[in-house]
Amino acid sequence: MTTLELPRRWRVPAWGLALLVAIVAELCYFTLTTRQFAGHGTGMLALSEQFAPTGVLAMGLAMVILTGNIDLSCGASASLAAVIAGTILEKGGSPVEAILLAVAVSTLFGLFNGVIVAYVGIDSLLVTLATQFIITSIATSVAGASPPFGFPGAFTLIGQGAVNDVPIALWVFLVIALAIIVTVGHTNVGRSMTLIGYNLRAAQYAGIPIRRTLTAVFTLCGAAAGVAGVLLAAYYNSAQPDIGTDLLLPAITAVILGGMDIFGGRGRIGEVVLAVFLLGYLSQGMLIEGDSSLSITMVTGLVLIGALVLKFAFERNLRQRLTARMQRLRTLSRGARS
Amino acid sequence: MTTAKNIETASPPRQDLRARPRWTWLVRRREILVSAAIVVVVAASTAVHPYFWSSSNIAFIFADSVVIAFLALGESFVMLGRGIDLSVGAIMGLSAIVVGFQIQNHNMTLLPAVLLGALVGIVLGLGNAVLVGVVRLPPIIATLGTLSVYSGLEFVVTNGNQVDTIPSSITNLGSDTVLPGIPVILLLTLPFVLVSALVLRHTRFGRSIYAVGDDAEAAYRAGIGVQRVLFATYAISGLLSGLGGVAFLIYTSGASSTTGVGDNLTAIAAAIIGGTALTGGVGGAVGALVGSVFLTVTLTALSFVHVADVWQPAGVGVLVLLAVVYDSRSRRGSVAWRPRKRQRQRQSQRGTR
Amino acid sequence: MADHAEPAAAAEPAGVAGHGTQPAPRPQADSCTDYAAYGVTKRFGEITVLSDVSAHFFSGEIHSIVGENGAGKSTLLKVMAGVYPCDEGTLVLGGKVLPALTPREAQRAGIYLVPQEPRLMPDLSVAENLYLGALPRRRFGGVAWRVMNDTTDAVISAVGLHADPRLVAGRLSLAQQQLLECARALSRGCRIIFFDEPTSPLTAHDAEKLFGVMDQLRGRGLTLGFISHRLDEIEAISDRITVLRDGVVVAHAERGGLTRENLVTAMIGRQLTVTRKAGHPREPGAVKLEAEDVHSPPEVNGMSVRVRAGEIVGMAGLVGSGRTEFAETLFGIRPAVSGRVRVNGRDITGASPRKCIDSGLVYLAEDRGRSGIFADVDIARNATAAIVQRLPRLAGVFLRPRKEQELAQAGAQRMDVRASSVAAPMKTLSGGNQQKALLARWMLAMPQVAIFDEPTRGVDIGAKESIYEIIEALAANGLAALVISSELEELVRLCDRVYTVYEGRITGELAGDAITPEALGQLAVGA
Repeated sequence: MTTLELPRRWRVPAWGLALLVAIVAELCYFTLTTRQFAGHGTGMLALSEQFAPTGVLAMGLAMVILTGNIDLSCGASASLAAVIAGTILEKGGSPVEAILLAVAVSTLFGLFNGVIVAYVGIDSLLVTLATQFIITSIATSVAGASPPFGFPGAFTLIGQGAVNDVPIALWVFLVIALAIIVTVGHTNVGRSMTLIGYNLRAAQYAGIPIRRTLTAVFTLCGAAAGVAGVLLAAYYNSAQPDIGTDLLLPAITAVILGGMDIFGGRGRIGEVVLAVFLLGYLSQGMLIEGDSSLSITMVTGLVLIGALVLKFAFERNLRQRLTARMQRLRTLSRGARS
Repeated sequence: MTTAKNIETASPPRQDLRARPRWTWLVRRREILVSAAIVVVVAASTAVHPYFWSSSNIAFIFADSVVIAFLALGESFVMLGRGIDLSVGAIMGLSAIVVGFQIQNHNMTLLPAVLLGALVGIVLGLGNAVLVGVVRLPPIIATLGTLSVYSGLEFVVTNGNQVDTIPSSITNLGSDTVLPGIPVILLLTLPFVLVSALVLRHTRFGRSIYAVGDDAEAAYRAGIGVQRVLFATYAISGLLSGLGGVAFLIYTSGASSTTGVGDNLTAIAAAIIGGTALTGGVGGAVGALVGSVFLTVTLTALSFVHVADVWQPAGVGVLVLLAVVYDSRSRRGSVAWRPRKRQRQRQSQRGTR
Repeated sequence: MADHAEPAAAAEPAGVAGHGTQPAPRPQADSCTDYAAYGVTKRFGEITVLSDVSAHFFSGEIHSIVGENGAGKSTLLKVMAGVYPCDEGTLVLGGKVLPALTPREAQRAGIYLVPQEPRLMPDLSVAENLYLGALPRRRFGGVAWRVMNDTTDAVISAVGLHADPRLVAGRLSLAQQQLLECARALSRGCRIIFFDEPTSPLTAHDAEKLFGVMDQLRGRGLTLGFISHRLDEIEAISDRITVLRDGVVVAHAERGGLTRENLVTAMIGRQLTVTRKAGHPREPGAVKLEAEDVHSPPEVNGMSVRVRAGEIVGMAGLVGSGRTEFAETLFGIRPAVSGRVRVNGRDITGASPRKCIDSGLVYLAEDRGRSGIFADVDIARNATAAIVQRLPRLAGVFLRPRKEQELAQAGAQRMDVRASSVAAPMKTLSGGNQQKALLARWMLAMPQVAIFDEPTRGVDIGAKESIYEIIEALAANGLAALVISSELEELVRLCDRVYTVYEGRITGELAGDAITPEALGQLAVGA
């Protein structure tokens, strides 16, 4: 019999560490070069209101990408949610009603995506490509000629208010992030997602409920998009129909930068959270410095490419060294046996 | 030569597979199907609004579809190789801006403008080509990155300005018609479509794109330089997107820092509708043109029956869904769940024969 | 293309010979297409698949390589065709030593391997597939379609393939695809063609067509290599036979030099060093698995099977006989068009894998790389993959990694998995240990019935023995085990009863002492 050891040490995730270092470096840089950045220490926290919606969206997307799929429609879903919430508020509804209905609708669209992908069997890129167009139209149509704006204070508090100096939006993001980290790491559904992402066929043979899991993943992504939309409407105090669509790109970038494998399986949600902060503060810092939003996009793209090139090079090197080591171990063990 | 005596009785000899009669082959081709669909839509719309079938309207539709046609054409090259290019719209926009400023501020004429557009397109396309072909990043991520970079560059290059003055000598190309219903700009587009179709169907390079898209590993074993082929497809996609930028200027006589932003996915949609699959190996240049025209015709028809412009994207989405569901029924089984999946490494423990 | 005279005094013994005995080379003939391997050794990781193997392929001959599954036949041909480099040994073509080969270089040297599963571009035309990578060109760089199509017509008719060159290759039947591969070899001017088990998936009719083609090619002086499990075919067409067993040449003969019995004995007949355990007889209990007339066309054509608790029942047959498809039908991966499946009396026909597992039926898949392991995932999560919902939880919802690892560790230890820790990724394990880890996964599900599909494929000797002991222990504890295997010795060792399968039907059932490698060997080839 053999004695397997239980793993004792918790290995420090290298990529997460790299992200953390980058965040610290970035924060230092901005604090030193731009006066308004740190703003009595709480300025940085306040800035997070801006990218909290992106973060929430990235959380939903991360789960979808974990299974090896993609959701191109979640940005549009966020827009739709924002518009619906705004419309209800404008018509005199309460913030609670507005939020619930907005999230419900975006969740339904997520469910639709999930059903088509899981039960009809069409690739998620194609399905969400199509639904993205459809949802955009619906959002624009609902927004009408004059998109809603000027919402009651109780609502905008979500996007602009703070508790103990920590913005409510940030709380929302962190709570959702935590919920998703726990879900992915510690629940059936989360485990199924991960295994499906690693090897769909083996997951099928292991009795993992593929269709149910995929449907759930897209539904959850839809729900996350809804929350993101609500946060956006609250922060901007208006609901333009393209308010969420601009978030898709940064959200995907955050997920990839956070180390998730686009083909599924690998990656940690926690590192995606770090990537959200990294990119978020990057764009905020640059905004304060006076750069335009589009040059921020450019820098984001460069960061993504640069980080991935490094990662691929690093992994290739690592893989070569690992195979060499494994071969050495095998020759040793063979020698020992004979 | 006999085989074992008591093997089960052989199944009846198979039908020799000769080609079916020519005409059935024609009917099954996607381009023909979509063209027929175009005719149906035109006929139906004309029945409702006779004005639909008029020289100026048809010309308008063609002119409207040209920009997307260029983008879809470029996208087709990439998709045939089982890749994807999310940055075509941004490349188109940058090209439109750069060329537009030259025309506006320096009186550049048409031919140099076209060449400049092509050049800008190729250079930008090379960015993708290097990332995918040399560095070997997954296409989705690589083109996502370049999309961001190029979109940002659009703003940096415009520096707050806009292109808004294009001499009518150029813009007339978008509205003048050679024959009733055929705008000049369409005629300028056709050569590119034809050349692309020729390259794809009749050159070794073109055929190797299909091979790579169908089965990259087998193509590699057959001696095809897979990475080189992929590199070329992204460069070509850039080139065509650059030309699309020039077409954009002709058609809309202006450009700004947000040009092309929404067109990336529309281009993919047009290519898919025209028969090019994301999984590679199927489709072509004519399909890109036909798909773009079909898209434009249908969207125009929708506005003719007073469907608000707001619903145009939804129209695109529905058409994509229809095309995709149709494909999943008619092609070998359902469209692969994850066509982006890497080729798995063969485990050394398998198959000890 | 000279005719060769029969060698005057054949230097080979008729019957079992030690490895290393080689026949005298043919006096003349087209020696520039004589292809020989000398002392080839090939390892995959820690498993030695070929050990000091030498084989001569002469022009104008069909040289068959026979042996059980795992003997190394396919690997030998692949090494000689450049698909794998060999760790030791030399390849000599026409008297010249070949440097390390790639498939492309091999083709240029005139060597072509028709793989067991023809790999064509499904969306490209027949002609394009034929000329893949070497499309004929017209003057200005365009593809010369007409020339290509016409030549294709000629080339493929020569091998008996009648199809329009413009047809997309995906529409060809498997037999036709094989012929196309053959045609491709010819069109590249290859004079040495190896066929890796081409007839396994073919009907008798298609196989005959293929033999006709091979005969023709032989007559033209080509050098042909051939692998098959069907001894009738081997006897009918081979000019020369080499028998491999466990990676070593154990016999060699020319046409007529080996009787059928000697052949089978050479293939499998070493003394069974470990016979079935005394105290083996277990009183089989109630029927746990019952499959009645299950149909899942085209591979499964009415199979009925019964397994009792405590029994180890085997399924013998050739590759492609439909056993794996049968298992997949039972387990819900493939649809069952008709028939009934019952586990412990409960009808589970057509149930999903999840439901099967929950009803007590588990399936250790044949291809663990694709359908079994999650390579980059740690052993613990691999082990618990089938029972995630039964894991101990916090507040009924949250998984507890520590407890999960302990459970996995316990399971892995019971299955004798050798690894540094359960947190190691599955891919760092050897084949045998991966298989044992998968066994741990399935046993954690506490099944009543387990189907083991090729349980020791790609597993070294030591781990094999270990797995056999595990299966026997499980049966002793009441598991109803169905073992699908192409290794006759394995079936003899383990099974109380064996069904033989041929082309999707059960052709026989052997029990107890009637289970001998010879008897199984005969039945498995449909005799």
